Amino acid sequence: MLNYLSKITLILAFGILPFLLSAEPTLDAGKKLFKNNCAQCHAKNMKSDATGPALGGAEERWGDYPKQDIYDWVRNSQAMVSKGHPRAVAIYNEYNKSVMQPFPNLTDEDISSLLLYIDGVYKGVYPPPVPGAAVAGAGAAAEKGTPTWLYYALFGFLGFLALLLARIISNLNVIAAAKEGSVYTQKTLWQSLTSKGVITFALFAAVILGGYTTVNNAINLGRQQGYAPEQPIKFSHETHAGTHKIDCQYCHDGARRSKHAVIPAANTCMNCHRAIKVGSTYGTAELTKIYASIGYDPTTNTYIKDYDKLDQEALKEIYSKWIGDNYLSENEGLEVLDKAGEKLVEAQWGDIVSSLTNEQKKTVQGPIEWIRIHNLPDHVYFNHSQHVAVGKLECQQCHGTVEEMEVVGQHSPLSMGWCINCHRETEVQFSDNEYYKSYEKYHNELADGHKDKVTVEDIGGLECQKCHY
Amino acid sequence: MNKDSIWIGGKDLNRDEEFLSTVDQEFGTAEILANSEAVVEQDTNRRDFLKFLGFGLGAATVAAGCDIPVKRAIPYVIKPDSIVPGVATYYASSYVEGGDYCPILVKCREGRPIKIEGNDLSPITGGGTSARAQASVLGLYDISRYRGPQLLGTNGYDAASWADLDATVGAKLAAARNIRIVTNTILSPTAKKVLQDFSAKYSSTKVVTYDPVSAAAILEANQLSFGDRAIPGYNFDKASVIVSFNADFLGTWISPVEYASDYVKGRRVEKAGDTMSRHIQVESHMSMTGSNADQRVLIKPSELSAAIDFLHGKISGGGGGGSLNDKAKAALTKVAGELKGAGSRALVVSASNKVADQQKINNINQALGAYGTTMSFDDASLQRQGDERQVNALIGEIEGGRVDTVIFWGANPAYDYCNAEAFVAAMAKVDTKIALAYQPNETTALCNVVAPTHHFLESWGDAQPKRGHLSLIQPTISPLFNTRQGEESLLRWSGASLAGDQPYMNYLKANWKSSLFSGASGFASFGGFWDNALHDGVAKGGSSAANGYVTGATADFAAGNSVASGSDLEMVFFEPVSVGNGQFATNPWLQEMPDPVARTTWGNYLAVPVNYDGGKKFIGMNGLIDGDLAEVTVGGKTFRVPVVQQFGMAPGTVGLALGHGRSVGGKCATGVGVDANPCLTVERGLAQYYNTNVSVSGKVGKEDHFSCVQYHNTIGVKADNNAGETINADEATLGQTAYGVGITGYQGSLTERSIIYPSTLKELKGSIARLDEKQAAAKHLNDATLYPYDEYTADKYSQGHHWGMHVDLNACTGCNACTVACVAENNVPVVGKKEVSRHHEMTWLRIDRYYFGDAENPNTVYQPMMCQHCDNAPCENVCPVNATNHSSEGLNQMAYNRCVGTRYCANNCPYKVRRFNWLDYTTADIFPANQPGVAKGEAVPFGADNLTRMVLNPDVTVRARGVIEKCSFCVQRLQEGKLTAKREGRRLVDKDVRTACQTACPTGAITFGDKNNKNGELSKKLKSPLNYKALDEINVQSSVTYTMRVVNRDESFTS
Repeated sequence: MLNYLSKITLILAFGILPFLLSAEPTLDAGKKLFKNNCAQCHAKNMKSDATGPALGGAEERWGDYPKQDIYDWVRNSQAMVSKGHPRAVAIYNEYNKSVMQPFPNLTDEDISSLLLYIDGVYKGVYPPPVPGAAVAGAGAAAEKGTPTWLYYALFGFLGFLALLLARIISNLNVIAAAKEGSVYTQKTLWQSLTSKGVITFALFAAVILGGYTTVNNAINLGRQQGYAPEQPIKFSHETHAGTHKIDCQYCHDGARRSKHAVIPAANTCMNCHRAIKVGSTYGTAELTKIYASIGYDPTTNTYIKDYDKLDQEALKEIYSKWIGDNYLSENEGLEVLDKAGEKLVEAQWGDIVSSLTNEQKKTVQGPIEWIRIHNLPDHVYFNHSQHVAVGKLECQQCHGTVEEMEVVGQHSPLSMGWCINCHRETEVQFSDNEYYKSYEKYHNELADGHKDKVTVEDIGGLECQKCHY
Repeated sequence: MNKDSIWIGGKDLNRDEEFLSTVDQEFGTAEILANSEAVVEQDTNRRDFLKFLGFGLGAATVAAGCDIPVKRAIPYVIKPDSIVPGVATYYASSYVEGGDYCPILVKCREGRPIKIEGNDLSPITGGGTSARAQASVLGLYDISRYRGPQLLGTNGYDAASWADLDATVGAKLAAARNIRIVTNTILSPTAKKVLQDFSAKYSSTKVVTYDPVSAAAILEANQLSFGDRAIPGYNFDKASVIVSFNADFLGTWISPVEYASDYVKGRRVEKAGDTMSRHIQVESHMSMTGSNADQRVLIKPSELSAAIDFLHGKISGGGGGGSLNDKAKAALTKVAGELKGAGSRALVVSASNKVADQQKINNINQALGAYGTTMSFDDASLQRQGDERQVNALIGEIEGGRVDTVIFWGANPAYDYCNAEAFVAAMAKVDTKIALAYQPNETTALCNVVAPTHHFLESWGDAQPKRGHLSLIQPTISPLFNTRQGEESLLRWSGASLAGDQPYMNYLKANWKSSLFSGASGFASFGGFWDNALHDGVAKGGSSAANGYVTGATADFAAGNSVASGSDLEMVFFEPVSVGNGQFATNPWLQEMPDPVARTTWGNYLAVPVNYDGGKKFIGMNGLIDGDLAEVTVGGKTFRVPVVQQFGMAPGTVGLALGHGRSVGGKCATGVGVDANPCLTVERGLAQYYNTNVSVSGKVGKEDHFSCVQYHNTIGVKADNNAGETINADEATLGQTAYGVGITGYQGSLTERSIIYPSTLKELKGSIARLDEKQAAAKHLNDATLYPYDEYTADKYSQGHHWGMHVDLNACTGCNACTVACVAENNVPVVGKKEVSRHHEMTWLRIDRYYFGDAENPNTVYQPMMCQHCDNAPCENVCPVNATNHSSEGLNQMAYNRCVGTRYCANNCPYKVRRFNWLDYTTADIFPANQPGVAKGEAVPFGADNLTRMVLNPDVTVRARGVIEKCSFCVQRLQEGKLTAKREGRRLVDKDVRTACQTACPTGAITFGDKNNKNGELSKKLKSPLNYKALDEINVQSSVTYTMRVVNRDESFTS
C-alpha cells in the first residue's frame, strides 16, 4: 500500500511538475521580461508615469474586459485602437495619442508573468524579504576549501612533536652520558630556544618570509583589480548595456578613434534622458544629477539660460520643484508635499550637491567628476583605437561583462604580465588589412603553411617602445 | 695650415692640457664637478648609505601602506564636436612677433596648444619654422605674464577691472593734448585699420614705429631709389652668386625661414658635377649666415661702408673704399668679377644701417640686373617698417612738452631703442603712459596703466608679410587670464561699438570683407574665401602691385659718401638667433638653445678673435680663454663679461650679442648676460651696430657658470703604449705626425674617424673617391667579425619597418629650429645656466659645429647629432637591467621605468647623445623632498609649476630623476602614423611618419622614413654617393646617414 502511494506521488511529481514549471506565470520571469521590454518607457516602481504610463493596477483597470484583450493590447496596441476597443481608445487619448511599441513575440504566459510581476511590485509584495540569507551565505563560504583551523592545529601538533622529539633526544643524551659516567647538562627550553642555531633559523625564515611578502606586495603596488568605487551617479551598466543593449561605443565613442575610450559628456546622456526623466530604479534621485550638471529644467523641458551664473539657491529651487512634483505624481491624491515627500526632496537635493561638488569644484554646475577606475601608470601608453578598431577586440575581453555590472569594477589586473600574455597569444588581423602587406615574409610563410598564425608578438608587440615612450 | 683639418675650437687645436685631461670624463673636470656644492656635501659614507636605505624602505612602506589615491575622470559637460579627447587637432595660424613672421599649424590636445608645426600651404616658407616660432608656444604658459589689468597707485600697481581701466583711460585720452602710439612693425592690415580708427577719434594721435633691430636704412634707400618704402622680395634660390654685407639672412635678418628655404635650393649637391650657388659673406663677426658661406671676407665693422663703396666702385664705376684693408680689397675685386659674371643671377644684400650704403647696394643690384630675377618689388616684404628716427623725434616732442600721452603697443623702447637712456629720461615728463603688453618689461615698468594683451595663440588677427600674401591668426585656446587683445582695447577706447563674445573677430572679418576680399580671386562669396583662408591659414590677396619702381637708381647718395673712421679695437653687436634683441629672452627654451656658432647658452659672451702664432698656438686676444671674465669699456660704459674664443673674427674686432641683460624680464631673462644696447652708436638718427671706442682688459676673473656647450661630450680614446702606460690614443697618433695643427682627419679629438667629410665643389669627384675608400676600409674592419651585420640582420629587418634618417649637411644651416622642436615635442626639460655649465644639458638633439680649412677664416659645418639608433648598439650591451634594447623596427628603445641610472650606456655611447636626469627637472618624481637642490631653490627653475607644465606633450612620459633619456626618433609619432595607416587599411607612407626635427626644419635637411619602403623619400636620399655614416668604422651600424659637406670655395681667394 505504502509502495503504491509512493508510486502515485512519484508519477504526480514527475508528471505535473514540468507542466507547472512551463505554464505557471512566475514573478522572476516577469521581472526579466519587464527589464528587457518595458523598463525603457515604464517606471520600475509601477506607480509613476515615465515615457509610458504607470503600470500598477493595469489588470484591475482592464477588469471589465476579457483577459485576452489586455494580452492583445500589449502585443499590438494600435490594432486594438483601430478596432475601436473602448478601453484601448480611452488610454490612447488619455496619453496624448502616444504610440506604444508592439511586442508580437510575447506569449500569453509571458504577459501574465509580467502582470504578476507588475502587481507584485505595485502592491509591495515583490521582491520578498529574505530572512537569514546572509547567515546562510556565510555558512556556505566557510564550508568551501580546507578550513584554516586545520592548518593551525597541524602546525601546533608538529611543533609539539618537535619539542617532544627534542626532549627525547635530550633525555637519551642524559642516559648515554650517565652510562659513560660523564655529566650531561640538560638545556632548559629557554636555552634551546635562544641557541644560535634556532635564532639563525628564525632570522633566516623571517628574511625569506618578509622578502616574499615584500616582493609580492611591491608587485601589487598600484594595481587595483576589482576596484569598484561608488560613483557620483549610481549609473548602472547592467541597465544600459545589459537590459537596453546600448552599444558600448555609443557612449564611449573615443574607443574606435582615440587612445581614450572617453567618459561620455553630459550631453550624450541627454540624448535619451531628455525623454526618460525618471529612472526605473532610483526615480529622480540620480537622473536629476545630470540635469543639475548640464542645466536642464525637466519641468519645462528646456535648457536653462546663463546656467553658470545662477547661484546655488536658485538651482535648489528648480530641482527641488522637479523632485517634489514627481513625488506628488507618484502619490496619487497628494496635493502638497507631505513630511516624507519633503524629506525625500531634501535628501535627494543633498545627494546631488554632495555628488557634484568637491574641494576643487564648489558649484553644482559643470562636469560630473567620475571616479576613474582603470588607471595606468603615466609611463604606459595605451591606445583604445589600436585594440578596438584595428585589433577588433571586444570590450568585454579586458573589461569583463560590464553589461552585467550594476557597479562597474576593474575586471582585469591591468598588469604588464597580463598585457604581454595577451600579446603573445592574440592573432593579428593580418590578411584583411593592407597595412600588414609590408610583412612579406610572414605572408609567404602563412601561404606555404610554415606558420598558422601571426601573433602580436611576431610583429614586435612585446617590445618596450610599443607601450613605453 | 692644412686645408683638410677639422676642429671644434681653440682648445683642441691647442692641445689644451686641461681639455685633454677631461676628454675621457663624461662630465668635465674635477673642477667643474667640485664647483657644485651638492657634490661636495654629498660625501656619502656608510652611515649615510644606511640612512638612505632606511629612508627608501620607509618611503616604500609608506607608499605601499597608503590607499591608492582616488583619480577622477572628468568628462565635458557639452563636448565640442571638433574635440576627441586623446586626438590632436591642428589649427592654421600665424606666428607674428613684431616683424617676425612664420605661418604655422598649432597642435592642440584637449583644447591646449602644445606644439607648433610649419604650415606647408604657405608659398613663403613652404612649411619650415624657426626656433623662435617653435618656442613661442611656451610663451603662452609663461608664469611672468600679466593676469589682469593694472593701474599704478600710490603703492605700486593695483589690480583693476577692465571697466575701471577703460574709464581711467577714457578720461585721460579725452583730456590728452597729443597722443603717440609706439609700436614695432605691424604686419596686420586690420590692426592698422584699428589705429586709423583710433586716430580718427583722437586726431592728435601719431603712430611711432621702430624695430628692435633696425632696417630703417634699407627702407629709406628704397624710398629714395625707387619711391617704394619696402624691402624687396629676395629669391635666393635663383641667385648663382650671393654677396652679403653683414646680413645674417639665414639666422635673423628680415625673414630667415623664407630665405633659408630658398637659399638651400641652390646649395644642394647630389653628385660630382652638380652646380651650386656661391655665397660670399663680408662681415666682422662669424654670424650663422657667415658660417654657411663659401668664402668670408673679414672687415672691421667700421670698414663696412668702405667695403660696400669699394664693391660699388668696381661694379658701377667710380673709386671709393679708401680705408679698407688690403686683403678685403683683393677679395672684393674678385667678388666684383664673379658678380659681373653672374649678371642678373647675382644678389647683393646688406644689413648696413646707413642710407648711403643701402643706396649703393641698390645701385649694384641695379647694375647687375638683379631686379626682376633675384629680387623684386612685386612681392616686396613688409616685415620691417620701423624707423628709429621717429622715436628720436618723439623724445624731442616730449622734451618740448608737446606730448602728454604715450601708448606702448608691444614695443619695449626702454630696453631695445638704441638710445634707451634718453628715452627713459624723457618718459618722466609724460603724464599718461599706457602699456598694451603681454608681460612686464622695462617699458611697462614706466607706465601708469597696464592693459594686458593676449598671447597670439589666444588672439584673432591677420598679417600681410609680403605683398600679395595674407595670413590669418586664430585663437587656439580661450584666454587663460583676464587679458584683452590690444586691438580690442584700442577699439574700445576709440568708442567703437563692439558686440559679441569675440568682437575683434567680427571687426577682422568685416575688414577682410570690405578691403581684402576684393583682391582675392576664385571665390564667389566672401564666406567661402574666409572659410578657406581660416582653414589654410594663408591666402592670396591684399595689396600686390608694386608702385612700379624707377629704373636707373640715383647716384646722389643721401648724406654723402661718409666712411666712418676706425680704431685699433672695435666691437660689433649682433642679434642672436635665439633671443633677438631681447623680445624672446623671457623664453627659457630659447635661452637654453645654444648659439649656433659660439655654442653658448644663457646670456651673452664677448667673442674674441683667436690669433694663430704661425707655429703651434692659437691664442685668444689678450690671452683670454673661454670662461674668463674680461672688463670691457665701450663708449665710456664699463662692464664685465665672460669671454668665448671665436674663430673667423676680423682681427681687432670683438663681438657681443644684443638681447641679454634685461632688467625687467621675468624669471629667466632678468639679469642674464649684459645689456649691449647702451653701447650702440647712432649716426644720423640711425642705430649703428658697432662701436669704435672700445677697450678690453685681460683676464679679471672667471665666470662662475660658463654655460658653453662646445666642448661637452668630447671624448678621447685611451690606449696603452708600448711601455704599458695609458695614454690618449689621439695624442699618440698626433705624435707620429707634426705637433699641433694640420693633421688630416683630426676631428674633435678623434683621429681618423669618420665624423665630418668636407669637400670643395671643385674637388668633389676626388673627395667622393676618398670617401669610398674610407668606407671600404670601414667595411673591411666591420666584416672582421663573427657576426657579420648583413647576414645576421637580413632576416630581422627584411619586413615591416626599418626606420632610418638622412641628414643633408649641405642643407643644414645650423638654425636650431629642430633642437627647440625636439624639446617641445619630447618634454625635454630646461635645466638652467648652472646645470648647463656642469654638462647637464638635456637636449636630445644637438647641432655640433665643426670648423675646417683656414684656421684664421674657417669654413663651418653643422651636424645635427641625435641618437643614431645603431643596429649594433654599444649602449644596449652594457645595460645591467636591459632598460635599453633594440626593436624589430631598428629603434634603440629606452624604457625609462626600467632604468636604474647606472649611466653605463651614456658612457659607452660613441656619439654622446644620452642624457641623464640629474635632478627632478619637471617634478615627475614622487618624493620631491628627497632632493638637495630643490630645497635650496636653485635647481628646478623652470617647468615645475602647473602653468608651464601645460605645454607638456601628453603622449610622452615626463622623466623622473635618475634615469637616462635620449632621442627616440619621435616614437610616439611613428606609433601614431602606423595606427593611422592600420585604421585606414593601407600601407604606411612617408607623410605618416615625420619626426619633430624633420617638420621643423626650414630647409628640409632631415629626411626620416622606412628603409624597407623602396619607393620612399628616404630610399631615394640614401642613394647619394655623398652619404656616410658617422663613426662607420666602429661597426655600430647606425641608422642615421649624413652627407659630405660641400662648399663652393675658391682657394685663390686670399681673405
